[in-house]
Amino acid sequence: MSQVTRGGLSARSELPLRAVSLLYLGLMVVLPLAALAVQAAEPGPAAFWKEMTNPFAWHALKLTFATAGIMVLINAVTGTATAWVLVRYSFPGKKVMNALIDLPFAVPTVVTGLMLVALYGPTSVLGTFLGRNGMGIIYQQPGIVLALLFVTYPFVIRSVQPVLLEMDRSEEEAAATLGADTLTTFRRVTFPTLWPAILTGTALAFSRALGEFGSVVMVAGNRPLATKTGPMYIFGEIESGNRHGAMVVSAVLLTCSLGILIVLNRLQRRGEAVHGH
Amino acid sequence: MRFEAHPTNRRGTWCLIVLSLGLSLLPTGCAPARGAGGADDTLTIGAYSVVREAFREGVLPAFAAHWKRATGRTVRFEESYNGSGAQSRAIESGFDADVAVLSLEGDITRLVKAGLVDKDWKAGPDKGLITRSLVVIGVRGGNPKGVHDWEDLTKPGIAVLYPDPKTSGGARWNINAIYGAGLLEDKQKPDLEAARDLLARVQTNVVNMDSSGRQSMATFERGTGDVVVTYENEILLQAKMKGEDAPYVLPSATLLIEGPATIVDASVKRHGNRKVAEAFLAFLRTDEAQRIFAEFGFRPLDPRLDPPGRKPLPSRLFTMKDLGGWTKINKDVYGPDGVWDSIFTSKSRSRTP
Repeated sequence: MSQVTRGGLSARSELPLRAVSLLYLGLMVVLPLAALAVQAAEPGPAAFWKEMTNPFAWHALKLTFATAGIMVLINAVTGTATAWVLVRYSFPGKKVMNALIDLPFAVPTVVTGLMLVALYGPTSVLGTFLGRNGMGIIYQQPGIVLALLFVTYPFVIRSVQPVLLEMDRSEEEAAATLGADTLTTFRRVTFPTLWPAILTGTALAFSRALGEFGSVVMVAGNRPLATKTGPMYIFGEIESGNRHGAMVVSAVLLTCSLGILIVLNRLQRRGEAVHGH
Repeated sequence: MRFEAHPTNRRGTWCLIVLSLGLSLLPTGCAPARGAGGADDTLTIGAYSVVREAFREGVLPAFAAHWKRATGRTVRFEESYNGSGAQSRAIESGFDADVAVLSLEGDITRLVKAGLVDKDWKAGPDKGLITRSLVVIGVRGGNPKGVHDWEDLTKPGIAVLYPDPKTSGGARWNINAIYGAGLLEDKQKPDLEAARDLLARVQTNVVNMDSSGRQSMATFERGTGDVVVTYENEILLQAKMKGEDAPYVLPSATLLIEGPATIVDASVKRHGNRKVAEAFLAFLRTDEAQRIFAEFGFRPLDPRLDPPGRKPLPSRLFTMKDLGGWTKINKDVYGPDGVWDSIFTSKSRSRTP
């Protein structure tokens, strides 16, 4: 950090810039989060524990983590594969496909929910078929995973793609020359370079999923102790006047997000130190 | 992720600093200037979403004409429509509505507690109310599932919709109707266990709980569910807007919905428009306004203004007063360890061996 700034900016302009960006970070991120933490913690640890382990809150938290976890596992595989296809192969329509990937970020999440209900809901052709076979998606837990998959679609792809692009392919070629098959090459050569990027992507997707509201509220069904996730529980508690309960669940979601980001950041840095460029 | 600073000149840096400072100061001082109209009156209305069409297309233009005739002055409206609870909280935390039109008494009580509304707001002959409606069961055309009463919603294979009473205060009218039908089976002997039981059995058939009544109705219209528990005026409004029949049934026992409105004293004091605000509130109770409400699906305060062709009132109609009032219901049913929570916890307990 200090090296970079010494190269770029003079000491006189460095100080105010640093102060202002810190101030900005403080105003935009730290202050609201601190206010949340204080409000959640204020009535004491016993009250916090009681709100968190209330069966409705606890179930909502478990459901949120479980659905986000399943989503992340799927995304890690499909996202890496998509990035791989985009970087390693050339085919007609590749540019269009590359542009489409970021689209889920641009769609309002409520619209996402609406679209999923139209496609997979109980009144759609597919939904009717699945429902008849006891595999309803919308207004059931799989619907939540589906919504999360859509809204977090670009994360893994966009973090793996640049690493793949920059990767020196001579190592892979060397492995192939030495007789390794494609799978072994991927496992022993490519994956060790890619995994920090995959982790970054999944961590961002996971954090994003913990707070997802707009699309999930449309597809989940919102039945307590069945399909109500954390953010919907928070909304309900605020609307019905239990501010503290809402703050506690928010704080738990937030702390987990933060924890995951920190741990993965560490792992990633270690990964880069070993296999770095 | 790594960031590499590009050589930047000092002026660029300062530009950035000024820009970010400017951005962080942005959301201040944006309040619109008021009372600039001179001879015009301005009335700010904070209402719940359900009355939007009736207000925008009927009541407000009618009052503007009425006010013009009476005083020669033009009245300009600033309207805001939101969920009742959200609107109430917005006014509580500073939204300067002159007139509050909300779904539940409790949402006005909040404003009384905040010192914004006179504590005697219910003192008039209409007890602070402006509209009435009923909790009904919306069904599919031809009523293919043969639904006629609450008990029919508990049959296997019936997909039920109603909004979540946790996120929608207005949804509590719906739940209260089911709860009350069970509770007041015999009006002399309220049966709490029967009420809980009926509610729990209906809930097992609920497929989706939207966050508001409007949402729930929209989900129903998109084709989900066999029945939707909602307000009579919502169903009649949909029928009016689409120009087609929207079938519904009146259960044998149901709840009379009573919608209140009040002047927000703190706001009219600040805006100096008490006269027009009071005239507006009085206008809402005139036959002219009541007929407009009826046209948009509500039941007028005076039953003699009921438009022809309305379904006759059910045999066992009850009010919130019969259930013990909002304060009691909010505590007993929706409070911590209330009836609403218990229908889920007791169910899950019986499921796990």
